[in-house]
Amino acid sequence: MKSDRSFKYFSLSITWFWLVIFSLLPYGLVITASLLHHDSSHLMQLPFTLMNYAGLTNKLYLTIFEKSFYIAGSCTLICLVVGYPFAYLIARMQHRFKNLLILLIIIPFWTSSLIRSYSMIAILKSKGLINTALMWLGIIHQPLPMLFNNFAVISGLIYNLLPFMVLPLLTNIERLDHRLIDAARDLGANRITTFRKIILPLTMPGIISGCILVFLPAMTIFYIPDLLGGAKSILLGNLIQTQFLVTQNWPLGSAMSILLAIILAVLIALYWYSTRGKKEKDLL
Amino acid sequence: MIARLSTPTYLTTIYLFFYIPIIVLIIYSFNNAQFSLVWHGFSLHWYQELFKDRDLWVAVWHSLLLGIISATLSTTVGGLAAVSLYRYKFFGRNLLYALIFILILSPEIVMGISLLMLFNIMKVNLGFWTLLFAHITFCIPFVIVTVYSRIISFDKHIFEAAKDLGAKDWMIMRSIILPLLWPGLMAGWLLSFTLSLDDIITSYFVAGPDFEILPLKIYSMVRLGVKPEINALCSITFMFTLLLVVLSQLLLRKKS
Amino acid sequence: MKKWLALCFYFFSTLIFANSNTLNVYTWAGVIPDAIIQQFEKETGIKVNFSTYDSNETLYAKLRASKEGRYDIIEPSSYYIDRMRKQHMLEELDKTKLIDIANLNPELLNKSYDPLNHYSLPFIWGITGIFVNKPFYSPTTIKTWSALWDKQYANQLMLLNDSREVFAIALKKLGYSTNETNPQHIKQAYQQLKLLMPNIKIFNSDAVISILIDADATLGMAWNGDVFKAQREDKNLTFIYPQDGFVIWVDSFAIPKHAPHPENAYRFLNFIMRTDIAKQIALDNNYPTANLAAQKLLPNAIKNNPTIYPSHALLKKGEYQMDLPDDVLTLYENYWEELKMGGMSS
Repeated sequence: MKSDRSFKYFSLSITWFWLVIFSLLPYGLVITASLLHHDSSHLMQLPFTLMNYAGLTNKLYLTIFEKSFYIAGSCTLICLVVGYPFAYLIARMQHRFKNLLILLIIIPFWTSSLIRSYSMIAILKSKGLINTALMWLGIIHQPLPMLFNNFAVISGLIYNLLPFMVLPLLTNIERLDHRLIDAARDLGANRITTFRKIILPLTMPGIISGCILVFLPAMTIFYIPDLLGGAKSILLGNLIQTQFLVTQNWPLGSAMSILLAIILAVLIALYWYSTRGKKEKDLL
Repeated sequence: MIARLSTPTYLTTIYLFFYIPIIVLIIYSFNNAQFSLVWHGFSLHWYQELFKDRDLWVAVWHSLLLGIISATLSTTVGGLAAVSLYRYKFFGRNLLYALIFILILSPEIVMGISLLMLFNIMKVNLGFWTLLFAHITFCIPFVIVTVYSRIISFDKHIFEAAKDLGAKDWMIMRSIILPLLWPGLMAGWLLSFTLSLDDIITSYFVAGPDFEILPLKIYSMVRLGVKPEINALCSITFMFTLLLVVLSQLLLRKKS
Repeated sequence: MKKWLALCFYFFSTLIFANSNTLNVYTWAGVIPDAIIQQFEKETGIKVNFSTYDSNETLYAKLRASKEGRYDIIEPSSYYIDRMRKQHMLEELDKTKLIDIANLNPELLNKSYDPLNHYSLPFIWGITGIFVNKPFYSPTTIKTWSALWDKQYANQLMLLNDSREVFAIALKKLGYSTNETNPQHIKQAYQQLKLLMPNIKIFNSDAVISILIDADATLGMAWNGDVFKAQREDKNLTFIYPQDGFVIWVDSFAIPKHAPHPENAYRFLNFIMRTDIAKQIALDNNYPTANLAAQKLLPNAIKNNPTIYPSHALLKKGEYQMDLPDDVLTLYENYWEELKMGGMSS
């Protein structure tokens, strides 16, 4: 009985210890900073104020948020659509080298993302590989503009974030009990119904995990869109970066990232509560 | 019939998508041009440059060390955290969720600067340890989410059944949970290692003068145009890890 | 497991013992070649911890957010020297300890961003001007920044991804200073830039050279040092000094306040200012050197090349970048954001 509780206390205290020191405290600093003033001679100073948050109700910032949301959302959606079948196929494999295949997914990502982005540039540019190949084959006569636009940005993001969708999905789908699928088929359900009523609900936690690990970083990443998009628009990542580095308005930058956290938390909570209700109905 | 063909085709296409930029990266390491991203002919010049560049190799070693240690520690802490969150009801559970969420959502620059200010207040010198703590910190939520997505598919009754049979928590952990969670933990480790190897902004702020890591070196070189020497480095490390992984899998297969 | 512990121990012990005779140097990447650092280490026995940053802003943010006393040598640009000295972040230089200071180019000394050079010593410098890829557009038709507004250049231009540099070209077109603080003038510059947006293909400050060489953009703004380097792989690239004025940038060495090894820092500065060392550095990084004595020793092909070393007459039209108050910078940044969000093709 004693070691029962001691294990619980041990794991909980480690978790608490780490998160309190390295998540709560720094974030407390950020929250404090967002309530402070800023002027030319001091990065941050008292008195406390809410003006940073007031300053965020700005049409320009709304546009930037919308654009980042659109790009992060497209990226997440495509990663899900492309990654789900991929994860499914691998998770259900009985192949001898299944582990190897899983490792092969992640090895390319141990090279620097910056260098891989330059590779993508070499592939997508007007004199790049794809255009040169297509023109040589005579399929097109003018190079396709595949670089320095939204297409390049979303492609770059998908490329870098796909493993973060695939791996959580994989570990979740592996647990799917094949007998449930067999039972459904035996009861006369076709493939689509089986997918909708059995597979999808049971793998939903994996889907949510994957989406979170892709969408959230995608909202604040900036150097891949800059490199591949020609830096022709500003995303949330750039905006927050600018506050800290260029205008040195740390309070405003802090306020921005806190507001972002609040908005996304609300969205996720809304989604969570809506699916909660559905789950229980399905089980009945 | 269609299913039989479409599975390998789909898988191959996705793997190609992952690997073609890497292949291009390797090809360009032999490019006979310093700045151009167009092919100009074959050359081994960059590999020669690479072997002369002592600092770059030291940075590679540092990054590997940092990556392995931080991935291992964050998988441990994250794994424990995920299990605790799933199993136990305790005071402040929602706060814990919030703290994890904050970590994933924080823009790197916010995390970097806030951790730097924290280290200042704690009067810690910047260097290996601050990098390590920072890396573990941003890796933990990825481990937790990945492991949680696996653990949630467990039948809660397993724990009750084992307890009824008299097993202590630690035993349950070791012989039941750990083996079942293993793929989740491995996936978490792999993601953490990947994140750590490539982290730029957060690392920039918490790094000290005497522990140089690779991504910082590469990132600061972009102003000038990254030399193909870096391509040569990435090619070598890529081929090396590929070889290592394939060999280890073959050897493991042989054993069992 | 034991092996890991041993390796960790080794590294931590080197960290502890390394603090004896060291120097922490923090500069832009690619400006000081490894060979020079190694030569310094050999000649003086000082161990150099060499780190690099990618922008003035990140350097500044890191110094502000950390306690003082970490780096001995930094290399900010002129407007950050201005800002840092006003905010008492730099040590005043003891000129008696600096030997070869006479080697430096007097034209670059005693500028308003650091009067009498109490805090900084120029190291490299350059000019932001217009580049043209000859087969596409004739260089003779493009003499001023205003020329870039011509409709025939739709979706052709590459501009640097820096708000102040881009605003500088509009300010010059209107005849104002690149360090303009008047909100009305800044607004006019913004309106001019809005008209320029359809011509812009790329904003980029990184890997400019590969864009130049691969002709991803055939016209636009770039630093003369980058164009000089690109000319080696493509002779068609031409650099033009705009007649309506341009920005001169200078990167200088400075010692942050409470530097941990100030004596070693002075030894480093003296080493860098030596004629032979400065010449080696110039030949390696291909940026214009601020060391006049070294400049005179460069091969004719380089020192007589107007792209990299303009004549005194050409240089007169240039302006040094100064620090601006935060509220003015915020104004620039807000317009910059409006500019970029006001429209992106596809």
